[in-house]
Amino acid sequence: MARKVPNRITLTVDGREIEADEGAMLVDAAKHGDIEIPVFCYEPKLGQPVGACRMCLVEVEGIPKLQTACSTPVRDGMVVHTRTEQVKEAQNAVVEFLLVNHPLDCPVCDKGGECPLQDITMGWGADRNRMVDEKRHFEKPVPLSPLIAIDRERCILCYRCVRFSQEVSEDSQLQLLERGDRSYVGTFDDRPYIAPFQGNITELCPVGALTNYTYRFQARPWDIEQGGSVCTLCPSQCNVSFTIRDEQVKRVIARDNPEVDDGWLCDKGRYGFQAMYSLDRVINPLRYEEGRPVPTGWSEAIDLAAAGLAESAGKTAALVGDASNEEGFLVQSIVRDGLGSADIDCRQAPAASRETVIAFSDPAISARTVDIDTADVVLVLGTDPIHSSPAYDLRIRKAVRRNGTALAVATDRPSALDGGATEVERYAPGQVASFLRDLAAGVASGSDSGIAGLLLGAEEAVIVWGERIGRGESGGEALAALLELSRALGLAGKAESGLIEIPDVANARGLREVGCLPDAGPGLSRTNVGRDVEQIRAGLESGEITSLILFGVDPLRDFPDTDGWRRALEVAGHVVCFSMNATATTEYADIVFPLESHAEKDGTVTHPEGRLQRVRPSAKRPGDIRAGWMALAELSAAIGHETGIHSAPEAFEAVTIAVPFYGGLTDVKIAGRGIRWQDNEAASLFAENLASASASNGAAASVSVGPAGESSPGTPGDSRPGDESPGGPDQKLTLGTYRDLWADTTTDLSPALNYLMPAQRLEISVADARRLGLSRGDDVSVTAGETSVNARVALRSALPEGTCFLIEGTIEGNANVFSNGRPARVEIGKPEVKLDLVAAGTAAAGEQPADGNQ
Amino acid sequence: MSIVETRVLLRHATDPKLATIDGYRSYGGYSTLEKAYGEMEPDTIVNELEESGLRGRGGAGFSMGKKVSFLPHGNQTKYLCCNADESEPGAFKDRELMQRNPHQLIEGIVIASYAAGISHAFIFIRGEYDVQADILDRAVAEAYEAGYLGRNILGSGHNLELVVHRGAGAYICGEETALLDALEGKRGNPRLKPPFPAVQGLYGGPTLINNVETLSNVSHIVANGADWFKSFGTEQSPGTKVVSISGGVRRPGNYEVELGVSLRDLIYGLAGGPLEGREVKAFYPGGSSSPVLTPAEMDLPYSFEAMAEAGSMLGSGSIIVADDSVSIPHMALRTARFYHHESCGKCTPCREGTNWTVKMLERVVRGEATPMDLDIITSVQGNIIGHCLCVLGDSMAMPVSAMVNKFRDEFEEVIARAAINGLPTTEGLESNGDGFEPGPDGVGLEVLQRERLMGRPVPESAQAAEELPRG
Repeated sequence: MARKVPNRITLTVDGREIEADEGAMLVDAAKHGDIEIPVFCYEPKLGQPVGACRMCLVEVEGIPKLQTACSTPVRDGMVVHTRTEQVKEAQNAVVEFLLVNHPLDCPVCDKGGECPLQDITMGWGADRNRMVDEKRHFEKPVPLSPLIAIDRERCILCYRCVRFSQEVSEDSQLQLLERGDRSYVGTFDDRPYIAPFQGNITELCPVGALTNYTYRFQARPWDIEQGGSVCTLCPSQCNVSFTIRDEQVKRVIARDNPEVDDGWLCDKGRYGFQAMYSLDRVINPLRYEEGRPVPTGWSEAIDLAAAGLAESAGKTAALVGDASNEEGFLVQSIVRDGLGSADIDCRQAPAASRETVIAFSDPAISARTVDIDTADVVLVLGTDPIHSSPAYDLRIRKAVRRNGTALAVATDRPSALDGGATEVERYAPGQVASFLRDLAAGVASGSDSGIAGLLLGAEEAVIVWGERIGRGESGGEALAALLELSRALGLAGKAESGLIEIPDVANARGLREVGCLPDAGPGLSRTNVGRDVEQIRAGLESGEITSLILFGVDPLRDFPDTDGWRRALEVAGHVVCFSMNATATTEYADIVFPLESHAEKDGTVTHPEGRLQRVRPSAKRPGDIRAGWMALAELSAAIGHETGIHSAPEAFEAVTIAVPFYGGLTDVKIAGRGIRWQDNEAASLFAENLASASASNGAAASVSVGPAGESSPGTPGDSRPGDESPGGPDQKLTLGTYRDLWADTTTDLSPALNYLMPAQRLEISVADARRLGLSRGDDVSVTAGETSVNARVALRSALPEGTCFLIEGTIEGNANVFSNGRPARVEIGKPEVKLDLVAAGTAAAGEQPADGNQ
Repeated sequence: MSIVETRVLLRHATDPKLATIDGYRSYGGYSTLEKAYGEMEPDTIVNELEESGLRGRGGAGFSMGKKVSFLPHGNQTKYLCCNADESEPGAFKDRELMQRNPHQLIEGIVIASYAAGISHAFIFIRGEYDVQADILDRAVAEAYEAGYLGRNILGSGHNLELVVHRGAGAYICGEETALLDALEGKRGNPRLKPPFPAVQGLYGGPTLINNVETLSNVSHIVANGADWFKSFGTEQSPGTKVVSISGGVRRPGNYEVELGVSLRDLIYGLAGGPLEGREVKAFYPGGSSSPVLTPAEMDLPYSFEAMAEAGSMLGSGSIIVADDSVSIPHMALRTARFYHHESCGKCTPCREGTNWTVKMLERVVRGEATPMDLDIITSVQGNIIGHCLCVLGDSMAMPVSAMVNKFRDEFEEVIARAAINGLPTTEGLESNGDGFEPGPDGVGLEVLQRERLMGRPVPESAQAAEELPRG
């Protein structure tokens, strides 16, 4: 289903000739003639118009009755009147009706001043109130969820929130209850509305009925300023606008960018701003003396850090995580040019080689995010967007719901998108390579069933894949098989088709392209090959590396093999840590530099589709925080490597010079909505400079791709390791792990989101649970070798027998202790007895709920 | 008064055997269906229906044949929905048609489905019609057994599944698109039109929606031809019509007449006129949603076009007569309360307009209004009419507006008297028409009904009072 280019037609609105796309709704078409038709319920992002509020009634010549402009598609030669007496009467009438039950408590309403009901009443309403009878009453405000308060008296029943819940996020929790003027928005049985995108309804609400608890009575619209930026809490990089009062972020709202986020925002992006003002925030440089942090001035901290690094020159490594392109570029420059080391990585676990990265970055096989909207088939491979990049979850749902896109899901863990999928295939954790080999072979042989058949039948196909499939021993094979699959499908150069990678960290693509890889310099250029993240860890442990720069990473929480990292950090000689917050990792640092949040930073990031976007400073940096580029440039100078960078624009310029295919990109080109570097003139340099590398990879990638012996695609569970059967006498299960959306520091440090912090749970199939005598809510220990974590049992019927899942990044029982690159075989047993009295008390109460009367 | 009924649909209706397939067949039933499958092309049937000029009997009066012809040709799944959600106050004709002659309806559905290439049909019957739904269930089972429903009907290759679906009792589900939503298992709210159901209806497929009486006519038209049908009624309103007459008349009930007979013949002739010592004060000619007419309009012919010309409508063909014991302001309030209660709440003018109108009319009967409020009431009705998503809002606004305009003096008088007495006035009235008034022994009729439904004893005097005709 290629994107259709609609015919241009001409219509007349209020005597003005307007050119518009044929079939566009009259409300939208009229805007091209600077004619505003008021609306309440109309919101194209929510799907088909419903014509419920009746605010947009207009006169269309040739039709006797007034028509709703929101649902009237424009035709050539149409003549429309929006300001005749008849229309004005209707508009006055609707405003009057809307105010019949509206409390008009504007002076104490948070929406006052930015309220469409106020604006439309002023613009299109009558100036008199004829209603003297009593208005309807509700208890108000009441919590609709822990994040949102609902004032049902203010509600004008436009249905926007209900439609969002039912047709966009598809959680279907919000319903309209009762009938007529007794109608109200609520949930079944008054249960709290718990969903990852709920905050959007507060933005959709055209009155003050839905308000954020985080923003209630915090500011009035005339006290605030809006600062447009980009959210860098996940790879979706949604465009946001920060509401600033007294130089602090008070609220985050979406900044509609249809090519990136469709104007939606997940709750982490919306409410996570609270972490910026947490007590754990590092607000000035710290040095650790006898294990205790001591606030330090910037120049002293830089001197100390530089001295330590210089001492171990050549034996220094760096890991980069939450960083802008400029920061990443400067870190690699310090390591490579300043300290003469090649040991730098921006990944949490070893993954693709330079050649593979180049192959996947090739503009020819890259899809645009918007290609998902119109694709015939979308394959979601090895990632669950709701956890890894929530905006993609909504976009894929939209494609399925509105465009009829067929969705295929191939993951190890059941995904949130399974319900809308045409084909779902499951592979056992760690078996993605053989799954992909089979899929590629199926496509090559013209299979007409399963995902292969679906992909072959598609004119346009988009594959959304998770970086994680490249992890582990067989990661290289998996990526080679994925390339083989895209070759078999002929995705290279095909319009509106291609691949999009969902990486583990927000700016992964940018960091790779500016050179934060052990085997690739800026612009993915050939360079001395250094150690990757795992080799750096090993190097620290063996003493081959003595100093370490950690920029926006927290290995003890986020990286696989927690114990290994703890050992490595314990013996590391000199650790310079750049971090927003005090973490387990900063405890091991010698010097800690504070990092800016995405509301304070000035820099660029690169979206998974290659779009460079600009993070703009909107709020004041708390305490004595300095810009990241500045700290790095000073550090670089202190170790004797002068970068010549003295401002943020210079830092970005340095990046565009160092990365040839970013060449010529400027702030002006990036502007408010970003620009894909593939769409910039310099993109041709990618092919010119890197074609040979990519081609050589092509040869290297042609490792045995064919049906893999014992396994066949389409039967989940068949691709399990052959040597151990799931129900075998050892009773062991194959453990997979996943990163939960809420298992991170942002959730910990944002009081509003605290309640979402997941406790460790063991997802297990019903059959395995029965076999092991477990039921929902049981406390168990999950053990592999010497390592063990405690978890609570959660049954998942969609989980294939023989596999189980734990969450990475939880505060207690972080599953990262296991995942050292290989799928673990785990044993489920009784939990270790804890001496912690509080925990023991909770467990006891959990076992005997009848006793929990107090 | 020499008027007699012209019974086509209600022919043989007095024979209880008619409700069974054998009884129906004994009067020639299903022979038309056999003829249709045996010798007629679907297009011929569609032409015949279009030619007959049969107008929808549910309220809107749209040509049934045209509706069928709007359905796209081709192989996609098409649906037929028989609208048996007869909820309009004053209408009870479908109830009798289904109760006495269910097979006539089924035969009509099968023929219409054959003509339009439909393979799935539904009868959406209001939940309160429990007895009738049971009768339909039995009749449908009989028709399946006889091979008039199911796969390969009479060897024609045409399949038709017919399901009787009981609604949950919302008036709005009689609106065709709300009916579709309810049938799909959703909240019964009207949809935006266009797209019209003929293009995109049930489950997104083309859907033919017709009233029980309309579909009951189909077999007769196909059997006897369009010309025969047009020999009844007027040029623009051909055929016969089952008219439900209720209210202050001696012989309330269903009467089948040719369209175009005079209202006087219907009300005074067939229904026997007002009770002893009473006079007709006003009447709804087409259910409670039609603007009321006065005795001055008694000699108009009862046809779609004449009623429209008089500023009212024939609607579902239900006449409710209010005699001079009825207080028009109370009747207006009762009407408004019904639509306020039944408004679905989706669109603004209906949701808020019905609510506001009720509040204003309550003030009128409480004597807390001024004549200016009557102007506001009229103006608010004007603001509702034509601005809503479906016709429910208009259904309240039109009759209320007509009552205020035609009986303004009485409204002003009621306000004045109530204001003087300081109490709601029921003085000199047997009923104030709103159903909430205290009845004999101080027990309201609604309370009485509820008590009885819950199996509690009710005072005998109150029971007797309940039997009395209500305004």
